[in-house]
Amino acid sequence: MLLPLSIVLLVLCAVLALGAAYYLLRHSLIDDRLLAVAGLLEVGLLVQLVVGLAHAGDIGGADGATFVAYLFTVVIVPPFVVFLAIKEKTGWAMGVILVGAFVCAVLIGRLEQVWGMAHA
Amino acid sequence: MEPPTVEGGGEGGPTVGQATGSGPGRILVAVYALLALAATGRSILQISEYFHRAPVAYLLSALAAVIYLVATVALARGGHTAVRVATVSCSIELVGVLVVGVLSYVDTAAFPDKTVWSHFGAGYGYVPLVLPVLGLLWLRRHRQSR
Repeated sequence: MLLPLSIVLLVLCAVLALGAAYYLLRHSLIDDRLLAVAGLLEVGLLVQLVVGLAHAGDIGGADGATFVAYLFTVVIVPPFVVFLAIKEKTGWAMGVILVGAFVCAVLIGRLEQVWGMAHA
Repeated sequence: MEPPTVEGGGEGGPTVGQATGSGPGRILVAVYALLALAATGRSILQISEYFHRAPVAYLLSALAAVIYLVATVALARGGHTAVRVATVSCSIELVGVLVVGVLSYVDTAAFPDKTVWSHFGAGYGYVPLVLPVLGLLWLRRHRQSR
């Protein structure tokens, strides 16, 4: 993928994870500020989806299919974990956000990897 | 830090069964759902793109995906039947990851490609190995607390 975009997305994942960790320590639940970070990450992931789909043809074959699968999967993660975190009224809510931020980061890394292998 | 297991009264869902899906269970549900998604995606790819390479491994992959889906839904729902279903599916997962884990080291020809369970789930950060254990522990604690 475009490296600058991936870096921005990874930074957003880190901000979300750090925010969730901070909230966890302070025993606070999800609020608008954390939601905004998750929303920003989601917008970035949607941009990645569009850009990625436009370039998926360059990869082709099974790797291309994997690439597209990752693109769609990663978009689902933030809304899903935010949904779970909103429903959860204990400290575990932030744990869910932490898991989600980590999974997003891993998937973004994998996208970069698949992209890199095809363009090596 | 340790929330009571019996929740669910908080937000209009007064069923005791919700307990498996809240508190720490919320994280279990999240990880299970993500693993179910990953396993489903991968097995669809494997079966549609290169099934002939290793039919047995890929069918197991698909089976794993289905079991993860069942476990996710059962954990999220809670309730008597769901807890039983979750227990059974977690047990199958544990046996599956152990058996396929061993087989993938012994019989490399049958497992040329990574599946969710091969090499004890190493391709997924050993999450497939750890998750059923955590799931079973959580279900056991849940049962004792009622």
